[in-house]
Amino acid sequence: MVTVNPHFAKKLQKFGAKTASECFSCGTCTAVCPLVTDEAQFPRRFMRYVQLGLEEKIKHSIEPWLCYYCGDCQKNCPRKADPGELMMSLRRYLTSVYDWTGLSRKLYTSMAWKVLSVGLLFFATLAVVYSFSGEMVTERVELETFAPAHIVHSVGYVFGAVLAFLLLSNVYRMYRFVMGPYAAGIPLSVYIQELGTLIVHFATQARMRLCTNKSRWLRHFLIMSGYFVAFMLVNIDVVTRWSLTNEPPMWWHPGKLLWSYASIAMLYATTEAIIGRLSKKEPIHQYSHSTDWMFLILLWFTVFTGLLMRIFMELGMPLPTYHTFALHLAFTVPLLGLEVPFTKWSHLAYRPFALYFLRLRERALEMQRSKGEISQVGVSG
Amino acid sequence: MGNKSILVVGGGISGLTAAIEASEVGYEVFIIEKNPYLGGRVAQMNQYFPKLCPPNCGLEINFRRIKSNPRIRFLTLAEVTGVSGQEGDFEVKVKIHPRYVNENCTACGKCVEVCPEERKNTFNYGLDKTRAIYLPHLFAFPMKYVIDAAACSKCNKCVEVCPVNAVDLNMEPKEMTLRVGSIIWATGWNPYDASRIGYYGFGQYQNVINNVMLERLAASNGPTQGKILRPSDGKPVERVAFVQCAGSRDENHLPYCSGVCCLASLKQATYVLERNPDAQVYIYFIDIRALGKFEDFYAKVKDNANIHLIKGKAGDITEDPATKDLIVVVEDQETQKLMKEKFDLVVLATGMAPATREVKAPADLVYDENGFVVGGAPGIYSAGCVSRPMDVASCVEDATAAALKAIQSTVGR
Repeated sequence: MVTVNPHFAKKLQKFGAKTASECFSCGTCTAVCPLVTDEAQFPRRFMRYVQLGLEEKIKHSIEPWLCYYCGDCQKNCPRKADPGELMMSLRRYLTSVYDWTGLSRKLYTSMAWKVLSVGLLFFATLAVVYSFSGEMVTERVELETFAPAHIVHSVGYVFGAVLAFLLLSNVYRMYRFVMGPYAAGIPLSVYIQELGTLIVHFATQARMRLCTNKSRWLRHFLIMSGYFVAFMLVNIDVVTRWSLTNEPPMWWHPGKLLWSYASIAMLYATTEAIIGRLSKKEPIHQYSHSTDWMFLILLWFTVFTGLLMRIFMELGMPLPTYHTFALHLAFTVPLLGLEVPFTKWSHLAYRPFALYFLRLRERALEMQRSKGEISQVGVSG
Repeated sequence: MGNKSILVVGGGISGLTAAIEASEVGYEVFIIEKNPYLGGRVAQMNQYFPKLCPPNCGLEINFRRIKSNPRIRFLTLAEVTGVSGQEGDFEVKVKIHPRYVNENCTACGKCVEVCPEERKNTFNYGLDKTRAIYLPHLFAFPMKYVIDAAACSKCNKCVEVCPVNAVDLNMEPKEMTLRVGSIIWATGWNPYDASRIGYYGFGQYQNVINNVMLERLAASNGPTQGKILRPSDGKPVERVAFVQCAGSRDENHLPYCSGVCCLASLKQATYVLERNPDAQVYIYFIDIRALGKFEDFYAKVKDNANIHLIKGKAGDITEDPATKDLIVVVEDQETQKLMKEKFDLVVLATGMAPATREVKAPADLVYDENGFVVGGAPGIYSAGCVSRPMDVASCVEDATAAALKAIQSTVGR
């Protein structure tokens, strides 16, 4: 039985899909999409699903994650119905569906929730930092004295574990939604065999290169690789002590070079994305949901304050170093806490997992087919 | 006492109808036509609805009515440059471009044999060429040659060879003023300029043509004597695609439906199969809009096994540079497959843009956002496709109505 939600299109408006009702199903978008296959077709079909209110069908769909918003679909749409933006809205919607806490939906649909959540985490972080921080040595920069490593690192790991739990539990819900009946009967060995898909796409976002505009992949890869490097450096800092230290290493130290790469790559790509969204030249930047701005602003300030702090440190300016570090943490906590499990950044997991699940579905179908053949042989024999 | 004569601007099917209807009930009528011949777009058709007649069938009888009617005067190569005055007393300025061929012409064609210069044949939408001195088309009315001044090198050879002294290279443009009581504006339509739809490659790929060009290819007096051949290599076509709504129902181009292009493509699909019964025709559509009683025609064409109606608008057309074949990509919404098919010829079903879309008329008219005439000053009426897209039969009805309005306008004073 198919259930229909006649108010679905309206509901989706809050996630950014404002023009879905304009579509008259000509299929220009699907025809020109470089990413569609016979098995996975969009965006026209999804425009139609939205118009029909097929919310349940969309909840169980994997296709929104297979769209990388090249924007080709949007250029020649005769109805100016913005099919690419609809697919983007569906990803926002699905993110809120996968999230079991309900916070994601609040963040996507309510400005008050966004502002209050960011503000709360920002000021709470500052409050915690300044209540638990150590002495502010003014003769020379002693960052570790100001922010004792054992506290920062252990709080960091607990925070990370909470985020990982939230994100992975949402991924599990995604698995339940998109795999549905396919999940039954897939042996563990297949899950392991296909892990390569997950790892490759997580690390490279190779599918984005199918888009007509290749430069977007590079810009995206800059953010992604910068983030990954920064993530690794933070996590190993408990051993390496390259960052949170009273004895900063020399400029040529690999740790410092890696930090510089991470900061500059992310700052460059984020700045460019902000300029793109302001100038609206590319289809992908034509429409910006408030959560897109929330992500870009938090990320930009996180990277900027991080970089600024290390510059102050390098210049031997103790007080500016400590305060910028506090600010850096105050931006980092809402960025990671709200974006990774609940909003835009969760796609770092949903995208590669979608391709992984798609492979699993294909394997499940192959197995069903070969089983079918065997049973047919059995009948004829 | 006001002026009782009527001016008709445009000598296509609408203008001719309005002029003849008004004159046959006793009114003096002037027709101003910018082409060197009367008959407009209808003259360029191969066959037209509702009865699929060739154009000379419908036009000839109108020309005969004009010839036998002393109350109609027509000017070809003429355009209105200004209208002043008011209902019942308009003063109309007309500019007449030189034909360079006078009344003596017997259409013997000796001039063409000696003419060294060529021009694009506009009657055939540039599919072939004529000499600089040319007969507009086989059934041209008036049956007189004309010189394209832009192509002519004034070599004087035609002047020398003409046995009746009909060529005069020194003709000058003329201006004249007409005084009329009312005006009918019937300047018709242009096919939407498909080169603006960049992704369909019109004007870029030789074998992408539009629907009016296919009418010429199918016409026995056309550039290929009615054989449907590919422009790139003259090969008979085996696989033809019709792309519906090429620029129509499109917010980036013409936002409206012209209402005739679906039937035109269905009709043209039959042209292709009449000439090559083994040809395969694909019609890519958003919706087939065969309005009114033409549903029957659609039903008949639909049943032909060689005509494939595919629900899905063509997204993109590319050319194989080696063979000049065209690849059309489309989402087939019935089979749910992505189609990438190769064709010899692609026909873009372009819609109707009013002649007043680009250049507004030198008269007091009111337009909608697409340039169609929706009204005008008292005493000025529009008729035919300058008001809205329509087929020939509707144009005839609309023009008859306009004739009555023009008459009422002069009688009222």
